[in-house]
Amino acid sequence: MAKAIKQIKKKNHNQEEEQASAVASIVKEIANNSDAILTMIGIVKNLHEMGALDTISALIEKRNDVGVIAIQQINKPEMHKTIKNGINTFNFLGTIDPEQLRTMLFGITKGLERASESVGKKENQSLWQMGKAMRNPDTRATISMMMDFMQGMGEGMANVPTNKK
Amino acid sequence: MDNQKFPIKINGKDFDAIQGQTILEVAKSQDYEIPSICYHPNLGTIQTCDTCFVQVKGELVRACATKAEPGMEVDTLSKMVKDAQYEAMSRILKNHELYCTVCDNNNGNCVVHNTAEYLEIEHQKYKFEAKPYPPDNSHPFYRYEPDQCILCGRCVEACQDLQVNETLTIDWEREAPRVIWDNDVPIDESSCVSCGHCVNVCPCNALMEKSMLGEAGYLTGIPANMLGPMIDLTKEVEPGYKEIFAISEMEAAMRKARIKRTKTVCTYCGVGCSFEVWTKGREILKIEPTEEAPVNGISTCVKGKWGWDFVNSEERLTHPLIRKGEEFVEATWEEALNLIAGKLTEIKDQHGANSIGYIASSKCSNEENYLFQKFARAVMGTNNVDNCSRYCQSPATAGLMRTVGIGGDAGTIKDIAAAELVIVVGANPAESHPVLSTRIKRAHKLHGQKLIVADLRKNELAERADVHLHPKPGTDLIWISAVTKYILDQGWQDKEFLENRVNGLDDYLTSLEKFTLEYAEERTGLTKDEMIQIAAMIHEAKSVCALWAMGVTQHMGATDTSTAISNLLLITGNYGKTGTGAYPLRGHNNVQGACDFGTMPAWFPGYEPVQDREVRERYEKAWGVSLPEEPGYDNHQMVEGIHKGELKALYLFGEDMALVDSNSNYVDSCLEKLDFFVVQDIFFSKTAQFADVVLPAAPSLEKDGTFVNTERRIQRFYKVFEPLGQSKPDWEIFRDLANLMGAKWAYTHPGEIMKEAASLAKLFSGVSYERLEGWNSQLWPVTADGTDTPLLFEERFGFPDGKAKLVAVDWTEPFQPGEEYDLFLNNGRLLEHFHEGNMTYKSEGLTHKVPHPWVEISLELAQERNIEDGSLVSLTSPYGNVEVRAIITDRVKGNELYLTMNTREDNEAVNKLTSSYHDKVTHTPAFKEMDVKMEVLELKGEPPLPEVNHRFGNRIPQISVRVEEKWKRDDFTPIQDLFRGDEYGQSDQAN
Repeated sequence: MAKAIKQIKKKNHNQEEEQASAVASIVKEIANNSDAILTMIGIVKNLHEMGALDTISALIEKRNDVGVIAIQQINKPEMHKTIKNGINTFNFLGTIDPEQLRTMLFGITKGLERASESVGKKENQSLWQMGKAMRNPDTRATISMMMDFMQGMGEGMANVPTNKK
Repeated sequence: MDNQKFPIKINGKDFDAIQGQTILEVAKSQDYEIPSICYHPNLGTIQTCDTCFVQVKGELVRACATKAEPGMEVDTLSKMVKDAQYEAMSRILKNHELYCTVCDNNNGNCVVHNTAEYLEIEHQKYKFEAKPYPPDNSHPFYRYEPDQCILCGRCVEACQDLQVNETLTIDWEREAPRVIWDNDVPIDESSCVSCGHCVNVCPCNALMEKSMLGEAGYLTGIPANMLGPMIDLTKEVEPGYKEIFAISEMEAAMRKARIKRTKTVCTYCGVGCSFEVWTKGREILKIEPTEEAPVNGISTCVKGKWGWDFVNSEERLTHPLIRKGEEFVEATWEEALNLIAGKLTEIKDQHGANSIGYIASSKCSNEENYLFQKFARAVMGTNNVDNCSRYCQSPATAGLMRTVGIGGDAGTIKDIAAAELVIVVGANPAESHPVLSTRIKRAHKLHGQKLIVADLRKNELAERADVHLHPKPGTDLIWISAVTKYILDQGWQDKEFLENRVNGLDDYLTSLEKFTLEYAEERTGLTKDEMIQIAAMIHEAKSVCALWAMGVTQHMGATDTSTAISNLLLITGNYGKTGTGAYPLRGHNNVQGACDFGTMPAWFPGYEPVQDREVRERYEKAWGVSLPEEPGYDNHQMVEGIHKGELKALYLFGEDMALVDSNSNYVDSCLEKLDFFVVQDIFFSKTAQFADVVLPAAPSLEKDGTFVNTERRIQRFYKVFEPLGQSKPDWEIFRDLANLMGAKWAYTHPGEIMKEAASLAKLFSGVSYERLEGWNSQLWPVTADGTDTPLLFEERFGFPDGKAKLVAVDWTEPFQPGEEYDLFLNNGRLLEHFHEGNMTYKSEGLTHKVPHPWVEISLELAQERNIEDGSLVSLTSPYGNVEVRAIITDRVKGNELYLTMNTREDNEAVNKLTSSYHDKVTHTPAFKEMDVKMEVLELKGEPPLPEVNHRFGNRIPQISVRVEEKWKRDDFTPIQDLFRGDEYGQSDQAN
């Protein structure tokens, strides 16, 4: 004879058992990864000494308040410009042929060397000397390149892609 | 011309087109991308989004609405096409703010996101404009955010023409159109049945599962006071959408690391819907159906879409329990299994193997049912094993076994959709098999399918039917036989079919003689005209499917009525062709599979008799034991056996017998008498209260396995979570127990169990987990090479000579308890809850929609007895008494009551009223044969059904989204008018 019953006696020590088994599995993982854990402890110790942990903890705790302030600061016209300029610059870099830039930069490096030599001499070239220098093929190459650059720039300025397609 | 293939050119490349396909379908079928947003393969052409414009003969046409023609040349790349698509996408983005990275729908499958990206939208032509409506968060499960709604109408199409609940429309008349529910009421107060179709098809985040909000993304939980400025900032500095898309794609990819997507098969009815479960840890984010799902596509119902909270319920059993005195005490698996092994051995030794019964579960997997019958037969030496199909479906199976030789649905859901005429007898598929019923509703609404419903209640399908028959309770056999006789008298039978494919015509004709229209009219209450009309409709239809369920099978003459239905189909030649056949609608997810895999007292897996020596030897050899040859007890006989003192112990899993078996008071008194009772379940059920040992089992989401749906389709489901606490999958419990008793079973995965079953049962020869991978499925019989059988009987019926049998049957008068019991008691399931609600009441949202059971009382009876909505009434039968609150409705007529079964309370449960009378052949209880007397206990009270229930809604039927009304608006300019040749005009738009 078994009457219907609803009473269930839960073992009190179940929670302790579950805790014990959870702790055991954590200890096992720690033992298996002791090197990584020790390194991490080192990092945490340093962060703590720096006071960085307190800062991070406060930031996390107050993440919404801090986030709102930050986003308000960022969501201003100057910041819009900064971000847009950042993105435009980034995009600009993406459009340059690395080989061309390398040639240019190499030239600029050489140019700088010579320029700093000239600064060191503390002696300016006379107009005559400058005139003579124009005959120098290296100088001519730079100037003709500058002329091409200016032409291209003019072309580019006339055809800036609009933001409305 | 049907199915004729011809080539067309898209961008100069050849594509095969089939007659009737649109350009878009041709492209999609060959994985060629033409952008589209509103088109969905399960919904068809809607024509609202305009992103699929292509160029044919110099003109812009919609690829989704233009049929491919031989020799057609399609250009999808020209400037005109690109400009048109850009215009269309810009109009969409005017209605939809792109904040993808902080959107919970950014999971790689957002159609709006992906289309905008594909079209390389850099900047938006028209500024986003918020709509003047707040979001609707009234519904417990989903929200509508008008600001994000692109008005594509997918949701409306799905609601109107796929689910066919007809709740959603778009009001194109107002200045800012939006989707509205009913006559523009909050979602929760509408006729919405919460099926989830609209959410499933929404191409963006306008309609979303609330369980996803703030949970899916890494940044989506951000509070509104931070999110607003963040969106503004993003828009202010945006260099173009390309960069935004790059970031949102990265974020979507990161989400995949923490959102797990697992295919599963629904356990809420026999239709067999499959879908993905999206989870984060143990949290269910959403149910995501896909068009690849073989049965349901993107369709779901309220339970399948939302009803899974029970998996993480606090009330789950997590430890084995052992009865000690007046209480259950938590135990270890070792203690529990040792106790069971010891007790079962002791009882077997003392009283014989047949003194123990085994009741299996039609909710559990094929593999679990296979192992359980193997345990009963091979380890415990008895055939006393049965499953709960005994409570519902056995008579249908028996009726089909008699007539066509195979006890399963003749075809698939596609045949039901394709039939010219569907006859539904004693079934309420709109509530009990919701997704299957959507296919009938759709075919009936859009494709001219005729529908006959024979039911006591004006249920949803009855409301929609061309003819609703309301025969007297329990008289279906009579009108079906009379209609069959009339068809024969008119010479409308399929003579060739009968000649070539059917035996037993002469005897059958003799048996029909008494079923004249006059006799039927007298007994059934139907008119001759009604029956003649039915006969004529069957005669005129080229293909007929007959569907039935508990209204037929839970009667004393249930097998005979099922037989009569099959006879009618044979007489009219409605077997073996597309769109024909018999479809008993299986109620549980694995009723079919439990029977298929052998938890039946007389059958091994695959319906091979235990009495057949050759079959038995095959199993004896494989299992290395000798097996009992006499059929064992079925469920009913087990209860009788306990009563008589022959059955001493019972092992039951996944079944709440104390509530769902008929005549509960009697069953309960028997359960009390058992010497030893093991109950295995996921919850501490009513039945578990009688147990000596309760074992905690794991539900489908916590294990692997397969189910067989009502179509005979075998589908795999995959483990989503680890079992909760110390619960275990049922198959592991059987394995461990068997091994404790010396069985040495080495199964480590259900796939191995299926392999063994397939190697032994011919019906499943070619079934394997590899062939069932992912969305693949197999419909039995499956031959060794893996060929399955979607449609049965194309060549032969399931008898040795390949011919079907007409079987003479006679009417069995239903049980009537006596004059004083003056009201007929009908009963059944309802949409929102599964059975008694052990699982579905764990969902707050479902409980919000339906918190209580109720009894439906007709307008006439309510007036006569002075009863109102909310009155508390007591119903009394000779077997017991219940007290429930009333709902007055015209769904029931006259003296017929309908009591819903969604309760776990003794004094509300219908089976306190039902008897132990049963079907003569299969012993299925006659749940649907009871009369009661009624007493009003309290006139006034709170109505048991809240006003936020769909039954009080106000449907707005229409076909599709009525895009023509959008096109008629003054502010709408057709895109094709803007881009004629090179003369582009100016645009206004209203989408």
